[in-house]
Amino acid sequence: MKEAIKSRELIVLDGVDVIIRGTYHKICEQNPGLQSNGVTKDRIGVLFLNGFMATRASNGDAAVYWADSFAKLGYPSFRLDLPGYGDSDENPPLEWLNFINLGGYATIASAKMRELVTRYNLAGVIIAGHCAGAVSAIYAAAAGRECKGLVLLDPYFHFQKTVRSKIRRRLNLWTWQSRVGGFLSSIYNVLKEIRLALRRNTAPENANVPLLRCWKELASSGLPILILKAPVRKTPGMKPRIGEFDYLGYALRLAGRMSRVVVKVADGADHSFANRLGRDAVRVHAEQWLGEYFPIGSWKEEGAIALYPERPNKIGMKIASCV
Amino acid sequence: METQSTMNPALLEQARYFTVRDAHLYTVLHQVASPIARVLLVGPFASERHFSYHTWVRWARYLAARKIEVLRYDYRGIGESTGTFEDMGFETWSEDVQLLAEWFKKRSPNVPLMLHGLEIGAILAAQSFQMGVGDALLLWSPAASANQALRSSLLRWARLEQLFESPENRRSASDYIRQLEQGSVIEVQGYQWSSRLWRDSSHCHLPDNIGDGGALCKVNNKPVRSIRFGKDPSSVAMPYARYDEVKELGGLYSLSFDWITEALKESTGGHNERSD
Repeated sequence: MKEAIKSRELIVLDGVDVIIRGTYHKICEQNPGLQSNGVTKDRIGVLFLNGFMATRASNGDAAVYWADSFAKLGYPSFRLDLPGYGDSDENPPLEWLNFINLGGYATIASAKMRELVTRYNLAGVIIAGHCAGAVSAIYAAAAGRECKGLVLLDPYFHFQKTVRSKIRRRLNLWTWQSRVGGFLSSIYNVLKEIRLALRRNTAPENANVPLLRCWKELASSGLPILILKAPVRKTPGMKPRIGEFDYLGYALRLAGRMSRVVVKVADGADHSFANRLGRDAVRVHAEQWLGEYFPIGSWKEEGAIALYPERPNKIGMKIASCV
Repeated sequence: METQSTMNPALLEQARYFTVRDAHLYTVLHQVASPIARVLLVGPFASERHFSYHTWVRWARYLAARKIEVLRYDYRGIGESTGTFEDMGFETWSEDVQLLAEWFKKRSPNVPLMLHGLEIGAILAAQSFQMGVGDALLLWSPAASANQALRSSLLRWARLEQLFESPENRRSASDYIRQLEQGSVIEVQGYQWSSRLWRDSSHCHLPDNIGDGGALCKVNNKPVRSIRFGKDPSSVAMPYARYDEVKELGGLYSLSFDWITEALKESTGGHNERSD
Protein backbone atom coordinates (compact mmCIF):
# COMPACT_ATOMS: atom_id res chain seq x y z
CA MET A 1 0.00 0.00 0.00
CA LYS A 2 1.45 3.39 -0.93
CA GLU A 3 0.48 7.03 -1.00
CA ALA A 4 2.09 7.84 -4.32
CA ILE A 5 2.42 6.22 -7.69
CA LYS A 6 4.29 7.45 -10.74
CA SER A 7 1.67 9.90 -11.93
CA ARG A 8 -0.41 10.62 -8.81
CA GLU A 9 -0.19 11.16 -5.11
CA LEU A 10 -2.88 11.01 -2.45
CA ILE A 11 -2.69 14.13 -0.35
CA VAL A 12 -4.08 15.42 2.91
CA LEU A 13 -4.30 19.16 3.52
CA ASP A 14 -4.68 19.83 7.23
CA GLY A 15 -4.32 23.60 7.50
CA VAL A 16 -6.88 25.84 9.25
CA ASP A 17 -7.97 22.84 11.34
CA VAL A 18 -9.85 21.27 8.46
CA ILE A 19 -8.65 18.02 6.94
CA ILE A 20 -9.17 17.80 3.22
CA ARG A 21 -8.30 14.72 1.17
CA GLY A 22 -7.40 14.87 -2.46
CA THR A 23 -5.36 13.65 -5.38
CA TYR A 24 -2.35 15.39 -6.84
CA HIS A 25 -1.60 14.69 -10.51
CA LYS A 26 2.11 15.13 -11.00
CA ILE A 27 3.51 16.77 -14.08
CA CYS A 28 4.83 14.43 -16.71
CA GLU A 29 8.34 13.07 -16.20
CA GLN A 30 8.91 12.64 -19.91
CA ASN A 31 8.34 16.31 -20.57
CA PRO A 32 11.84 17.82 -20.77
CA GLY A 33 12.59 20.54 -18.27
CA LEU A 34 9.68 19.64 -16.03
CA GLN A 35 10.09 18.54 -12.46
CA SER A 36 7.95 15.73 -11.13
CA ASN A 37 9.17 15.29 -7.60
CA GLY A 38 6.36 17.24 -6.02
CA VAL A 39 8.26 20.54 -6.14
CA THR A 40 6.79 22.41 -9.04
CA LYS A 41 8.50 25.74 -8.71
CA ASP A 42 6.78 28.70 -10.29
CA ARG A 43 4.19 26.65 -12.09
CA ILE A 44 0.55 27.38 -12.38
CA GLY A 45 -1.54 24.59 -10.89
CA VAL A 46 -5.09 23.59 -11.70
CA LEU A 47 -7.46 22.97 -8.80
CA PHE A 48 -10.75 21.13 -9.36
CA LEU A 49 -13.65 21.77 -7.00
CA ASN A 50 -16.56 19.34 -6.56
CA GLY A 51 -19.76 19.74 -8.53
CA PHE A 52 -22.98 19.25 -6.58
CA MET A 53 -23.09 15.81 -4.91
CA ALA A 54 -20.09 14.64 -6.92
CA THR A 55 -16.88 13.13 -5.62
CA ARG A 56 -13.58 14.66 -6.64
CA ALA A 57 -13.51 12.24 -9.59
CA SER A 58 -16.64 13.99 -10.92
CA ASN A 59 -19.36 12.32 -13.01
CA GLY A 60 -17.97 9.44 -15.07
CA ASP A 61 -14.51 10.19 -13.61
CA ALA A 62 -14.21 13.12 -16.02
CA ALA A 63 -12.15 15.22 -13.59
CA VAL A 64 -9.58 12.41 -13.34
CA TYR A 65 -9.25 12.51 -17.12
CA TRP A 66 -8.84 16.30 -17.23
CA ALA A 67 -6.37 16.38 -14.35
CA ASP A 68 -4.29 13.67 -16.00
CA SER A 69 -4.33 15.59 -19.29
CA PHE A 70 -3.36 18.96 -17.79
CA ALA A 71 -0.59 17.37 -15.70
CA LYS A 72 0.82 15.77 -18.84
CA LEU A 73 0.99 19.24 -20.37
CA GLY A 74 2.93 20.54 -17.37
CA TYR A 75 0.21 21.98 -15.12
CA PRO A 76 0.25 20.21 -11.74
CA SER A 77 -3.37 19.38 -11.05
CA PHE A 78 -5.25 18.82 -7.82
CA ARG A 79 -8.66 17.39 -7.08
CA LEU A 80 -10.01 17.91 -3.58
CA ASP A 81 -13.04 16.68 -1.68
CA LEU A 82 -14.39 19.75 0.08
CA PRO A 83 -16.24 19.24 3.40
CA GLY A 84 -19.39 17.20 2.79
CA TYR A 85 -18.09 15.62 -0.43
CA GLY A 86 -16.51 12.24 -1.18
CA ASP A 87 -13.89 11.20 1.36
CA SER A 88 -14.13 14.38 3.44
CA ASP A 89 -14.66 14.09 7.19
CA GLU A 90 -17.91 16.02 7.21
CA ASN A 91 -21.54 15.44 6.37
CA PRO A 92 -23.04 17.83 3.81
CA PRO A 93 -24.75 20.93 5.22
CA LEU A 94 -28.51 20.61 5.56
CA GLU A 95 -29.27 23.22 2.91
CA TRP A 96 -26.39 22.13 0.74
CA LEU A 97 -27.18 23.96 -2.49
CA ASN A 98 -28.03 27.17 -0.68
CA PHE A 99 -24.81 26.85 1.27
CA ILE A 100 -22.89 26.64 -2.02
CA ASN A 101 -24.88 29.40 -3.70
CA LEU A 102 -24.13 31.77 -0.85
CA GLY A 103 -20.40 31.11 -1.01
CA GLY A 104 -20.23 28.62 1.86
CA TYR A 105 -17.09 27.00 0.47
CA ALA A 106 -15.23 30.24 -0.32
CA THR A 107 -13.17 30.44 2.84
CA ILE A 108 -12.13 26.81 2.99
CA ALA A 109 -11.46 26.51 -0.75
CA SER A 110 -9.30 29.64 -0.78
CA ALA A 111 -7.42 28.50 2.34
CA LYS A 112 -6.70 25.14 0.73
CA MET A 113 -5.64 26.90 -2.47
CA ARG A 114 -3.09 28.87 -0.42
CA GLU A 115 -1.92 25.66 1.23
CA LEU A 116 -1.33 24.09 -2.18
CA VAL A 117 0.56 27.14 -3.41
CA THR A 118 2.88 27.00 -0.40
CA ARG A 119 3.36 23.25 -0.37
CA TYR A 120 4.06 22.91 -4.09
CA ASN A 121 5.74 26.29 -4.71
CA LEU A 122 3.13 27.25 -7.24
CA ALA A 123 3.01 30.66 -8.89
CA GLY A 124 -0.76 30.53 -8.66
CA VAL A 125 -3.78 28.37 -9.27
CA ILE A 126 -6.47 28.12 -11.91
CA ILE A 127 -9.70 27.01 -10.26
CA ALA A 128 -11.96 24.75 -12.28
CA GLY A 129 -15.49 23.83 -11.30
CA HIS A 130 -18.57 22.26 -12.80
CA CYS A 131 -22.08 23.64 -12.19
CA ALA A 132 -22.26 24.22 -8.40
CA GLY A 133 -18.48 23.72 -8.39
CA ALA A 134 -18.26 26.71 -10.74
CA VAL A 135 -20.19 28.79 -8.21
CA SER A 136 -17.75 27.77 -5.46
CA ALA A 137 -14.87 28.52 -7.83
CA ILE A 138 -16.04 32.11 -8.37
CA TYR A 139 -16.41 32.75 -4.64
CA ALA A 140 -13.06 31.09 -3.87
CA ALA A 141 -11.30 33.12 -6.57
CA ALA A 142 -12.65 36.30 -5.05
CA ALA A 143 -11.43 35.25 -1.62
CA GLY A 144 -7.84 34.50 -2.57
CA ARG A 145 -5.17 36.33 -4.54
CA GLU A 146 -3.52 33.03 -5.48
CA CYS A 147 -6.23 32.38 -8.06
CA LYS A 148 -4.94 33.46 -11.48
CA GLY A 149 -7.79 32.22 -13.63
CA LEU A 150 -11.06 30.32 -13.75
CA VAL A 151 -12.43 27.47 -15.84
CA LEU A 152 -16.18 27.30 -15.36
CA LEU A 153 -18.28 24.46 -16.77
CA ASP A 154 -21.95 25.37 -17.09
CA PRO A 155 -21.92 27.95 -14.30
CA TYR A 156 -25.24 29.37 -13.14
CA PHE A 157 -25.97 32.72 -11.58
CA HIS A 158 -29.32 32.15 -9.95
CA PHE A 159 -30.76 30.30 -6.98
CA GLN A 160 -31.99 26.86 -7.92
CA LYS A 161 -34.57 24.69 -6.30
CA THR A 162 -32.96 21.54 -4.92
CA VAL A 163 -36.07 19.41 -4.99
CA ARG A 164 -38.93 19.94 -7.40
CA SER A 165 -42.40 18.96 -6.34
CA LYS A 166 -43.72 15.64 -7.64
CA ILE A 167 -46.41 17.39 -9.64
CA ARG A 168 -43.84 19.66 -11.26
CA ARG A 169 -41.63 16.71 -12.18
CA ARG A 170 -44.54 14.80 -13.66
CA LEU A 171 -45.65 17.86 -15.60
CA ASN A 172 -42.14 18.28 -16.99
CA LEU A 173 -42.01 14.65 -18.01
CA TRP A 174 -45.37 14.95 -19.70
CA THR A 175 -44.37 18.03 -21.69
CA TRP A 176 -41.24 16.22 -22.87
CA GLN A 177 -42.97 13.01 -23.79
CA SER A 178 -46.31 13.99 -25.29
CA ARG A 179 -47.11 16.09 -28.35
CA VAL A 180 -49.90 18.00 -26.62
CA GLY A 181 -47.64 18.62 -23.66
CA GLY A 182 -44.89 19.81 -25.98
CA PHE A 183 -47.30 22.18 -27.71
CA LEU A 184 -48.59 23.64 -24.45
CA SER A 185 -45.02 23.94 -23.21
CA SER A 186 -44.12 25.96 -26.33
CA ILE A 187 -47.01 28.37 -25.68
CA TYR A 188 -45.90 28.70 -22.06
CA ASN A 189 -42.36 29.46 -23.24
CA VAL A 190 -43.59 32.17 -25.61
CA LEU A 191 -45.46 33.80 -22.73
CA LYS A 192 -42.29 33.66 -20.65
CA GLU A 193 -40.36 35.26 -23.53
CA ILE A 194 -42.86 38.11 -23.62
CA ARG A 195 -42.54 38.59 -19.89
CA LEU A 196 -38.75 38.64 -20.21
CA ALA A 197 -38.91 41.21 -23.02
CA LEU A 198 -41.08 43.43 -20.83
CA ARG A 199 -38.48 43.23 -18.06
CA ARG A 200 -35.85 44.63 -20.47
CA ASN A 201 -32.89 42.59 -19.33
CA THR A 202 -33.32 43.23 -15.65
CA ALA A 203 -32.21 40.21 -13.66
CA PRO A 204 -35.16 38.22 -12.28
CA GLU A 205 -35.89 37.73 -8.58
CA ASN A 206 -34.00 34.45 -8.45
CA ALA A 207 -30.71 36.16 -9.41
CA ASN A 208 -27.83 35.27 -7.10
CA VAL A 209 -26.83 38.84 -6.32
CA PRO A 210 -23.84 38.07 -4.05
CA LEU A 211 -22.43 35.74 -6.70
CA LEU A 212 -22.98 38.25 -9.48
CA ARG A 213 -21.19 40.87 -7.38
CA CYS A 214 -18.20 38.59 -6.95
CA TRP A 215 -18.27 37.75 -10.63
CA LYS A 216 -18.32 41.41 -11.60
CA GLU A 217 -15.34 42.18 -9.35
CA LEU A 218 -13.31 39.33 -10.77
CA ALA A 219 -14.23 39.59 -14.43
CA SER A 220 -13.96 43.36 -14.64
CA SER A 221 -10.49 43.21 -13.05
CA GLY A 222 -9.28 41.26 -16.07
CA LEU A 223 -8.94 37.81 -14.53
CA PRO A 224 -8.73 35.31 -17.39
CA ILE A 225 -11.89 33.21 -17.34
CA LEU A 226 -12.94 30.38 -19.60
CA ILE A 227 -16.61 29.42 -19.61
CA LEU A 228 -17.62 26.18 -21.25
CA LYS A 229 -21.25 25.59 -21.99
CA ALA A 230 -23.00 22.37 -22.85
CA PRO A 231 -25.49 22.87 -25.69
CA VAL A 232 -29.11 23.14 -24.63
CA ARG A 233 -31.81 21.26 -26.52
CA LYS A 234 -33.75 23.40 -29.04
CA THR A 235 -31.36 26.33 -28.49
CA PRO A 236 -28.13 26.18 -30.43
CA GLY A 237 -25.18 28.30 -29.37
CA MET A 238 -24.89 30.10 -26.07
CA LYS A 239 -28.49 31.14 -25.64
CA PRO A 240 -30.49 29.68 -22.75
CA ARG A 241 -33.68 27.70 -23.19
CA ILE A 242 -36.58 29.62 -24.65
CA GLY A 243 -38.32 31.62 -21.97
CA GLU A 244 -35.37 31.56 -19.59
CA PHE A 245 -33.43 34.66 -18.65
CA ASP A 246 -30.04 34.88 -20.36
CA TYR A 247 -27.88 34.93 -17.25
CA LEU A 248 -24.70 34.29 -19.18
CA GLY A 249 -25.32 37.26 -21.45
CA TYR A 250 -26.12 39.33 -18.38
CA ALA A 251 -22.90 38.21 -16.65
CA LEU A 252 -20.88 39.08 -19.74
CA ARG A 253 -22.37 42.55 -19.80
CA LEU A 254 -21.51 42.96 -16.12
CA ALA A 255 -17.93 41.89 -16.83
CA GLY A 256 -17.38 44.98 -18.95
CA ARG A 257 -14.90 45.86 -21.67
CA MET A 258 -11.74 45.18 -19.70
CA SER A 259 -12.72 41.62 -18.99
CA ARG A 260 -10.97 38.62 -20.47
CA VAL A 261 -13.81 36.15 -20.46
CA VAL A 262 -13.84 33.53 -23.19
CA VAL A 263 -17.03 31.55 -23.76
CA LYS A 264 -17.04 28.32 -25.76
CA VAL A 265 -19.75 25.83 -26.50
CA ALA A 266 -18.64 22.25 -25.86
CA ASP A 267 -20.28 20.58 -28.83
CA GLY A 268 -21.71 17.17 -28.09
CA ALA A 269 -21.45 17.58 -24.33
CA ASP A 270 -24.28 16.91 -21.95
CA HIS A 271 -24.57 18.90 -18.75
CA SER A 272 -22.30 16.50 -16.84
CA PHE A 273 -19.53 16.84 -19.49
CA ALA A 274 -18.82 13.19 -18.63
CA ASN A 275 -19.58 11.81 -22.07
CA ARG A 276 -16.66 11.28 -24.44
CA LEU A 277 -17.46 14.29 -26.63
CA GLY A 278 -18.00 16.51 -23.61
CA ARG A 279 -14.82 15.61 -21.79
CA ASP A 280 -12.75 15.89 -24.97
CA ALA A 281 -14.26 19.29 -25.76
CA VAL A 282 -13.40 20.51 -22.26
CA ARG A 283 -9.85 19.21 -22.56
CA VAL A 284 -9.25 20.75 -25.98
CA HIS A 285 -10.73 24.16 -25.13
CA ALA A 286 -9.07 24.32 -21.72
CA GLU A 287 -5.66 23.29 -23.05
CA GLN A 288 -5.88 25.89 -25.78
CA TRP A 289 -6.89 28.53 -23.24
CA LEU A 290 -4.14 27.52 -20.77
CA GLY A 291 -1.59 27.71 -23.57
CA GLU A 292 -2.75 31.18 -24.49
CA TYR A 293 -2.99 32.76 -21.03
CA PHE A 294 -0.60 30.64 -18.97
CA PRO A 295 2.03 29.28 -21.35
CA ILE A 296 4.45 26.80 -19.82
CA GLY A 297 7.96 28.13 -19.36
CA SER A 298 7.12 31.78 -19.74
CA TRP A 299 5.15 32.26 -16.58
CA LYS A 300 7.81 34.25 -14.75
CA GLU A 301 9.36 35.97 -17.75
CA GLU A 302 6.87 37.22 -20.24
CA GLY A 303 3.82 35.03 -19.91
CA ALA A 304 0.57 35.52 -18.18
CA ILE A 305 2.05 37.27 -15.19
CA ALA A 306 2.94 40.15 -17.46
CA LEU A 307 -0.48 40.01 -19.05
CA TYR A 308 -2.11 39.72 -15.72
CA PRO A 309 -0.06 41.20 -12.87
CA GLU A 310 -0.56 40.43 -9.19
CA ARG A 311 -4.24 40.71 -8.35
CA PRO A 312 -5.13 43.61 -6.12
CA ASN A 313 -6.08 42.62 -2.62
CA LYS A 314 -9.29 44.57 -2.80
CA ILE A 315 -11.17 41.64 -4.26
CA GLY A 316 -10.13 39.46 -1.36
CA MET A 317 -11.18 42.24 0.98
CA LYS A 318 -14.54 42.49 -0.68
CA ILE A 319 -15.43 38.85 -0.34
CA ALA A 320 -17.01 39.61 3.00
CA SER A 321 -19.44 41.97 1.34
CA CYS A 322 -20.08 39.49 -1.48
CA VAL A 323 -21.04 36.59 0.74
CA MET B 1 -23.75 28.05 8.02
CA GLU B 2 -21.34 25.26 8.75
CA THR B 3 -20.94 21.73 7.57
CA GLN B 4 -21.82 19.11 10.16
CA SER B 5 -18.82 17.38 11.61
CA THR B 6 -19.20 13.66 12.26
CA MET B 7 -15.61 12.66 12.41
CA ASN B 8 -14.25 11.06 15.51
CA PRO B 9 -10.61 12.20 15.56
CA ALA B 10 -9.63 8.94 17.19
CA LEU B 11 -10.56 7.11 14.03
CA LEU B 12 -8.01 6.97 11.29
CA GLU B 13 -8.77 6.86 7.61
CA GLN B 14 -5.90 6.04 5.32
CA ALA B 15 -6.17 6.43 1.57
CA ARG B 16 -3.57 4.36 -0.24
CA TYR B 17 -2.86 2.73 -3.59
CA PHE B 18 -2.77 -1.06 -3.73
CA THR B 19 -0.77 -2.40 -6.63
CA VAL B 20 -2.35 -5.03 -8.87
CA ARG B 21 -1.40 -6.19 -12.36
CA ASP B 22 -1.19 -3.13 -14.68
CA ALA B 23 -3.00 -0.81 -12.25
CA HIS B 24 -3.28 0.65 -8.79
CA LEU B 25 -6.44 0.30 -6.73
CA TYR B 26 -7.54 3.27 -4.67
CA THR B 27 -8.30 2.03 -1.16
CA VAL B 28 -9.43 3.69 2.04
CA LEU B 29 -8.76 1.85 5.27
CA HIS B 30 -10.93 2.88 8.20
CA GLN B 31 -8.44 1.85 10.79
CA VAL B 32 -9.44 0.68 14.25
CA ALA B 33 -7.28 -0.28 17.21
CA SER B 34 -7.94 -3.90 18.26
CA PRO B 35 -10.88 -4.45 15.90
CA ILE B 36 -13.49 -7.08 16.70
CA ALA B 37 -13.89 -7.80 12.99
CA ARG B 38 -12.98 -6.57 9.53
CA VAL B 39 -15.36 -5.78 6.68
CA LEU B 40 -14.34 -5.49 3.04
CA LEU B 41 -16.83 -3.29 1.18
CA VAL B 42 -17.31 -4.37 -2.43
CA GLY B 43 -19.06 -1.51 -4.20
CA PRO B 44 -21.58 -1.25 -7.02
CA PHE B 45 -20.87 -0.88 -10.72
CA ALA B 46 -19.08 2.11 -12.25
CA SER B 47 -22.13 4.17 -13.11
CA GLU B 48 -23.53 3.70 -9.60
CA ARG B 49 -20.34 4.84 -7.83
CA HIS B 50 -21.29 8.47 -8.07
CA PHE B 51 -24.63 7.91 -6.32
CA SER B 52 -23.56 5.35 -3.74
CA TYR B 53 -20.38 7.00 -2.51
CA HIS B 54 -21.78 8.95 0.41
CA THR B 55 -23.81 5.97 1.65
CA TRP B 56 -20.73 3.75 1.46
CA VAL B 57 -18.46 6.21 3.29
CA ARG B 58 -21.00 6.78 6.05
CA TRP B 59 -21.49 3.03 6.46
CA ALA B 60 -17.73 2.50 6.72
CA ARG B 61 -17.55 5.16 9.44
CA TYR B 62 -20.56 3.71 11.23
CA LEU B 63 -18.79 0.36 11.45
CA ALA B 64 -15.40 1.84 12.36
CA ALA B 65 -17.00 3.73 15.24
CA ARG B 66 -18.17 0.32 16.52
CA LYS B 67 -14.73 -1.26 16.44
CA ILE B 68 -15.06 -2.90 13.04
CA GLU B 69 -12.20 -2.11 10.68
CA VAL B 70 -13.31 -1.40 7.14
CA LEU B 71 -11.59 -1.39 3.78
CA ARG B 72 -13.36 0.20 0.83
CA TYR B 73 -11.94 0.68 -2.65
CA ASP B 74 -12.52 1.57 -6.28
CA TYR B 75 -12.39 -1.19 -8.89
CA ARG B 76 -9.67 -1.17 -11.51
CA GLY B 77 -10.36 1.48 -14.17
CA ILE B 78 -13.00 3.27 -12.06
CA GLY B 79 -13.00 6.35 -9.85
CA GLU B 80 -9.65 7.01 -8.21
CA SER B 81 -8.12 3.70 -9.28
CA THR B 82 -5.91 3.66 -12.33
CA GLY B 83 -6.40 1.61 -15.48
CA THR B 84 -8.71 2.01 -18.43
CA PHE B 85 -12.30 1.05 -17.79
CA GLU B 86 -12.75 -0.41 -21.28
CA ASP B 87 -9.89 -2.85 -20.73
CA MET B 88 -11.39 -4.25 -17.54
CA GLY B 89 -14.06 -6.86 -16.94
CA PHE B 90 -15.70 -9.01 -14.30
CA GLU B 91 -12.66 -11.25 -14.05
CA THR B 92 -10.34 -8.39 -13.16
CA TRP B 93 -12.87 -6.92 -10.75
CA SER B 94 -13.32 -10.31 -9.12
CA GLU B 95 -9.55 -10.55 -8.79
CA ASP B 96 -9.60 -7.15 -7.03
CA VAL B 97 -11.92 -8.60 -4.36
CA GLN B 98 -9.73 -11.62 -3.77
CA LEU B 99 -6.44 -9.72 -3.63
CA LEU B 100 -7.78 -7.13 -1.20
CA ALA B 101 -9.50 -9.74 0.96
CA GLU B 102 -6.22 -11.63 1.15
CA TRP B 103 -4.29 -8.49 2.14
CA PHE B 104 -6.93 -7.47 4.66
CA LYS B 105 -7.09 -10.89 6.27
CA LYS B 106 -3.32 -10.96 6.66
CA ARG B 107 -3.38 -7.84 8.86
CA SER B 108 -4.39 -10.14 11.73
CA PRO B 109 -5.59 -13.57 10.67
CA ASN B 110 -7.43 -14.24 13.93
CA VAL B 111 -9.91 -11.39 13.44
CA PRO B 112 -12.95 -12.53 11.42
CA LEU B 113 -13.33 -11.07 7.95
CA MET B 114 -16.71 -10.28 6.50
CA LEU B 115 -17.44 -9.47 2.86
CA HIS B 116 -20.14 -6.93 2.16
CA GLY B 117 -21.24 -6.36 -1.43
CA LEU B 118 -23.69 -3.96 -3.03
CA GLU B 119 -25.39 -4.62 -6.41
CA ILE B 120 -22.71 -6.07 -8.75
CA GLY B 121 -20.36 -5.93 -5.78
CA ALA B 122 -22.72 -8.38 -4.07
CA ILE B 123 -22.19 -10.88 -6.88
CA LEU B 124 -18.41 -10.50 -6.81
CA ALA B 125 -18.31 -10.76 -3.01
CA ALA B 126 -20.59 -13.82 -3.06
CA GLN B 127 -18.45 -15.55 -5.68
CA SER B 128 -15.33 -15.02 -3.57
CA PHE B 129 -17.19 -16.16 -0.47
CA GLN B 130 -18.26 -19.30 -2.28
CA MET B 131 -14.59 -20.01 -2.91
CA GLY B 132 -13.88 -19.81 0.81
CA VAL B 133 -12.89 -16.13 1.23
CA GLY B 134 -14.29 -14.52 4.41
CA ASP B 135 -16.15 -15.71 7.49
CA ALA B 136 -19.54 -14.11 6.77
CA LEU B 137 -21.28 -12.43 3.85
CA LEU B 138 -23.66 -9.48 3.78
CA LEU B 139 -25.40 -8.47 0.55
CA TRP B 140 -27.31 -5.28 -0.16
CA SER B 141 -29.48 -5.26 -3.24
CA PRO B 142 -27.82 -8.23 -4.89
CA ALA B 143 -28.55 -8.63 -8.59
CA ALA B 144 -29.18 -12.17 -9.83
CA SER B 145 -26.59 -11.56 -12.51
CA ALA B 146 -24.31 -8.75 -13.58
CA ASN B 147 -26.42 -8.51 -16.71
CA GLN B 148 -29.50 -7.74 -14.61
CA ALA B 149 -27.61 -4.95 -12.84
CA LEU B 150 -26.32 -3.52 -16.12
CA ARG B 151 -29.83 -3.60 -17.61
CA SER B 152 -31.17 -1.84 -14.57
CA SER B 153 -28.50 0.91 -14.81
CA LEU B 154 -29.05 1.21 -18.54
CA LEU B 155 -32.80 1.55 -18.11
CA ARG B 156 -32.45 4.38 -15.58
CA TRP B 157 -29.86 6.15 -17.69
CA ALA B 158 -31.82 5.80 -20.96
CA ARG B 159 -34.93 7.23 -19.29
CA LEU B 160 -32.95 10.23 -18.14
CA GLU B 161 -31.28 10.68 -21.52
CA GLN B 162 -34.66 10.72 -23.25
CA LEU B 163 -35.57 13.85 -21.36
CA PHE B 164 -32.76 15.76 -23.00
CA GLU B 165 -33.16 14.46 -26.54
CA SER B 166 -35.45 15.70 -29.23
CA PRO B 167 -38.23 13.19 -30.10
CA GLU B 168 -36.50 12.09 -33.31
CA ASN B 169 -33.23 11.33 -31.50
CA ARG B 170 -34.71 9.57 -28.50
CA ARG B 171 -33.58 6.00 -28.00
CA SER B 172 -34.93 3.42 -25.63
CA ALA B 173 -32.95 1.04 -23.45
CA SER B 174 -33.77 -1.74 -25.94
CA ASP B 175 -32.16 0.28 -28.73
CA TYR B 176 -28.96 0.50 -26.71
CA ILE B 177 -29.11 -3.21 -25.85
CA ARG B 178 -29.51 -4.02 -29.53
CA GLN B 179 -26.40 -1.95 -30.27
CA LEU B 180 -24.43 -3.84 -27.63
CA GLU B 181 -25.61 -7.16 -29.00
CA GLN B 182 -24.54 -6.11 -32.48
CA GLY B 183 -21.00 -5.48 -31.24
CA SER B 184 -21.07 -1.70 -30.79
CA VAL B 185 -19.85 0.32 -27.83
CA ILE B 186 -22.28 2.55 -25.96
CA GLU B 187 -21.58 5.22 -23.40
CA VAL B 188 -23.42 5.19 -20.06
CA GLN B 189 -22.77 7.93 -17.48
CA GLY B 190 -19.38 8.55 -19.07
CA TYR B 191 -18.29 4.88 -19.15
CA GLN B 192 -17.79 2.99 -22.39
CA TRP B 193 -19.70 -0.28 -22.29
CA SER B 194 -18.34 -2.75 -24.80
CA SER B 195 -20.21 -5.70 -26.25
CA ARG B 196 -17.67 -7.92 -24.47
CA LEU B 197 -18.65 -6.42 -21.13
CA TRP B 198 -22.31 -6.99 -21.96
CA ARG B 199 -21.73 -10.59 -23.09
CA ASP B 200 -19.62 -11.41 -20.04
CA SER B 201 -22.21 -9.91 -17.70
CA SER B 202 -24.56 -12.79 -18.55
CA HIS B 203 -22.02 -15.27 -17.20
CA CYS B 204 -21.43 -13.42 -13.96
CA HIS B 205 -24.08 -14.78 -11.55
CA LEU B 206 -24.91 -14.77 -7.91
CA PRO B 207 -24.12 -18.35 -6.78
CA ASP B 208 -27.29 -20.49 -6.70
CA ASN B 209 -27.18 -21.15 -2.98
CA ILE B 210 -26.85 -17.47 -2.01
CA GLY B 211 -29.19 -14.54 -1.94
CA ASP B 212 -32.88 -15.44 -2.11
CA GLY B 213 -34.79 -12.22 -1.43
CA GLY B 214 -34.22 -11.05 2.12
CA ALA B 215 -32.93 -14.45 3.16
CA LEU B 216 -30.70 -15.65 5.91
CA CYS B 217 -28.76 -18.72 4.99
CA LYS B 218 -25.51 -20.57 5.47
CA VAL B 219 -22.87 -21.40 2.92
CA ASN B 220 -20.07 -23.73 3.93
CA ASN B 221 -21.56 -23.40 7.41
CA LYS B 222 -20.88 -19.63 7.42
CA PRO B 223 -23.63 -17.01 7.83
CA VAL B 224 -25.03 -15.07 4.87
CA ARG B 225 -27.59 -12.26 4.89
CA SER B 226 -29.16 -10.66 1.87
CA ILE B 227 -31.18 -7.44 2.04
CA ARG B 228 -33.22 -6.19 -0.88
CA PHE B 229 -34.88 -2.82 -1.34
CA GLY B 230 -37.97 -1.67 -3.19
CA LYS B 231 -41.36 -3.28 -3.63
CA ASP B 232 -40.41 -5.64 -6.42
CA PRO B 233 -37.97 -8.27 -5.11
CA SER B 234 -36.64 -8.99 -8.60
CA SER B 235 -35.60 -5.37 -9.26
CA VAL B 236 -32.23 -3.95 -8.32
CA ALA B 237 -33.41 -1.04 -6.19
CA MET B 238 -30.69 0.88 -4.38
CA PRO B 239 -30.74 1.90 -0.72
CA TYR B 240 -29.76 5.48 -1.55
CA ALA B 241 -31.45 8.34 -3.40
CA ARG B 242 -30.02 8.95 -6.85
CA TYR B 243 -30.20 12.73 -6.89
CA ASP B 244 -31.07 15.73 -4.79
CA GLU B 245 -31.48 14.30 -1.33
CA VAL B 246 -29.41 12.55 1.27
CA LYS B 247 -31.44 9.57 2.44
CA GLU B 248 -31.70 8.64 6.08
CA LEU B 249 -30.14 5.20 6.31
CA GLY B 250 -29.83 4.84 10.08
CA GLY B 251 -32.37 2.00 10.10
CA LEU B 252 -30.52 0.03 7.44
CA TYR B 253 -27.17 0.58 9.14
CA SER B 254 -28.45 -0.55 12.48
CA LEU B 255 -30.25 -3.60 11.02
CA SER B 256 -27.11 -4.61 9.17
CA PHE B 257 -24.87 -4.00 12.16
CA ASP B 258 -27.11 -6.09 14.42
CA TRP B 259 -26.85 -8.94 11.97
CA ILE B 260 -23.07 -8.54 11.77
CA THR B 261 -22.73 -8.83 15.55
CA GLU B 262 -24.89 -11.97 15.50
CA ALA B 263 -22.89 -13.42 12.64
CA LEU B 264 -19.67 -12.64 14.48
CA LYS B 265 -20.88 -14.46 17.56
CA GLU B 266 -21.52 -17.50 15.38
CA SER B 267 -18.19 -17.36 13.64
CA THR B 268 -16.20 -16.79 16.83
CA GLY B 269 -18.28 -18.97 19.09
CA GLY B 270 -19.56 -15.95 21.04
CA HIS B 271 -16.21 -14.41 21.96
CA ASN B 272 -16.84 -10.99 20.40
CA GLU B 273 -19.12 -8.50 22.03
CA ARG B 274 -20.85 -5.45 20.70
CA SER B 275 -18.80 -2.44 21.63
CA ASP B 276 -21.40 0.30 21.82
